[in-house]
Amino acid sequence: MIRVIVVDDHPALRAGLHTVLDSEPGIAYAGESNGSEESLWPLLHRVEPDIALLDYHLPKGDGLQLCYRIKQQVPAPGVIIFSAYASPELLLPARLAKADGVLNKGVAARELFETIRGVAAGEGLLAPPSAALLHEAHAHIAQEDRALVGMLLDGAGEAEAARTLGTTVSDVRHSVQRILSTLRQSAPVAG
Amino acid sequence: MGTRPSLGQLLPARIARPSDADDDGAWLLLFAGGRLAATLIGFALVAWAGFPAANSVLLLYGLLSTIILVALPGLRRRPETWAADYVVTLSFVLISGDWRSPFYLLWLASLALPATALPARRAIVLGAGSSVAYLALAIIGGPVPGRLQLISTETLAIHVSLPFMLVVSLAYAAEALRRLSAERSARERLAIESERRRIAWELHDSAKQRLHAAHLLVTSLRGRVPEPLELVVSRASIELESAAADMDTSLAELRSPLEGRRLDEALRSRAFELGAIAQTEIRLNGQAPELPPLVGAHAYRIASEALTNALRHADASLVEVNFSRRDGNLHVSILDDGRGLPTELRPGANGLVAMENRADTIGARLTIGRPPGGGTLIKLDIPLDHTGGHP
Repeated sequence: MIRVIVVDDHPALRAGLHTVLDSEPGIAYAGESNGSEESLWPLLHRVEPDIALLDYHLPKGDGLQLCYRIKQQVPAPGVIIFSAYASPELLLPARLAKADGVLNKGVAARELFETIRGVAAGEGLLAPPSAALLHEAHAHIAQEDRALVGMLLDGAGEAEAARTLGTTVSDVRHSVQRILSTLRQSAPVAG
Repeated sequence: MGTRPSLGQLLPARIARPSDADDDGAWLLLFAGGRLAATLIGFALVAWAGFPAANSVLLLYGLLSTIILVALPGLRRRPETWAADYVVTLSFVLISGDWRSPFYLLWLASLALPATALPARRAIVLGAGSSVAYLALAIIGGPVPGRLQLISTETLAIHVSLPFMLVVSLAYAAEALRRLSAERSARERLAIESERRRIAWELHDSAKQRLHAAHLLVTSLRGRVPEPLELVVSRASIELESAAADMDTSLAELRSPLEGRRLDEALRSRAFELGAIAQTEIRLNGQAPELPPLVGAHAYRIASEALTNALRHADASLVEVNFSRRDGNLHVSILDDGRGLPTELRPGANGLVAMENRADTIGARLTIGRPPGGGTLIKLDIPLDHTGGHP
């Protein structure tokens, strides 16, 4: 049984997902949060879900930052960024934030189930960003951060990156959070 | 406030924007009435004094010029007209041979147009200059004040101080009203923008999320219902998808990157953000008029893409953005001193294509060229008469 939590600020979408996920054999709806700190972390610790379905556009924060912090948990659930506008530009920051998948909210239920099963099975569903996308993002990333971004996108771990750059893991994490927030600013306005 | 508008209530809205408001009936009536009154009082005074033939010809000017100024708004707004009127009426006073001439009133009336149209500081200069001019005229043209009796000296003082007082008070009122009107329109614009944002937010945050939920619910039925119902499910999900697409279109229109600012103001703050990162000097000259939201949004995105290109790909050290109005078009040019466009565009460089598409959408003309001095010159001609382009 794959246990899924939903992090989204809109009650109608949470309720819809509740019904839809529970209707699918092999997938269980394990709880929900509106994305606020007070509700999300207790839920994560209590439920220890396999998958978190995370809204990209949260009113009280940034879905990608939240994703990055969720992925630092031990054990970390698989995180699927569930966005109303899953544009290709989202791929790169999503990879940096260690998301396991990006899914448009407009998908059919079947695709949602398949993505959940794929991520739960440990498949990396996030395609590597294309050359054009990398080129575009390059301009948004400061010179001194490019080495770090390159390493992380190539799949290096934070510890490895920190060793290579001669810093600490927590410095690397701070840098990533900073880069995520600049990348968010350059992303399209609509979330 | 009574139902019948008083003079004070009539005035504000009329003089508030002198450029177009002086076409307004009430303001024009006041203006013409003032001039005609000056003419008639002068005429009566002259007639009482003995009606010399020359003076009646001069008085004709008051009537004719008022008719011409009322009939031709274009002429009325030109500083040359004001100057001519001013000089002619002042020379009437001079020709009449006495600074106490009744034509003085007509000359005073000629100050009304520049006093309401000029910015406050210039109007004060005009008022002071007019007082000095009249004093000079009284000394040169009329009986020398020193030889006059006390009562005449007092009259001279009034004659000299009146133009200054008149011009300054008119200018002060006009300036205050202009400011009031500008503030009001800015407030209205802000209110409209915040309303649009609220609608956009509600559409996105509420309606669209519900739509996604409904779509997920309906599509979860696929493969789980008997064959004949499959068709209903797939039809319903297609409808829901189309509704979501329609909503995206409305959202894009409601969300304007200008946020209630004029195009040049929005670009100025964008330039400030970009310049701070890239250490490139960005100069913006001129102003853009108010544009329909969609036109403004596309124009802004074209121009900011051009700015971004200049900074990121061309390594420019100076970018100049100019706004000007020509032949009913808003002309925006972005010139940088960078290394110019590559002869072969890199694959995936769809920025330029997107710029062209945007220009097409708002019926604007986009030209991208290499000026002889190097760098890149991007020109955008936006027609100002259309009502919003097609989305």
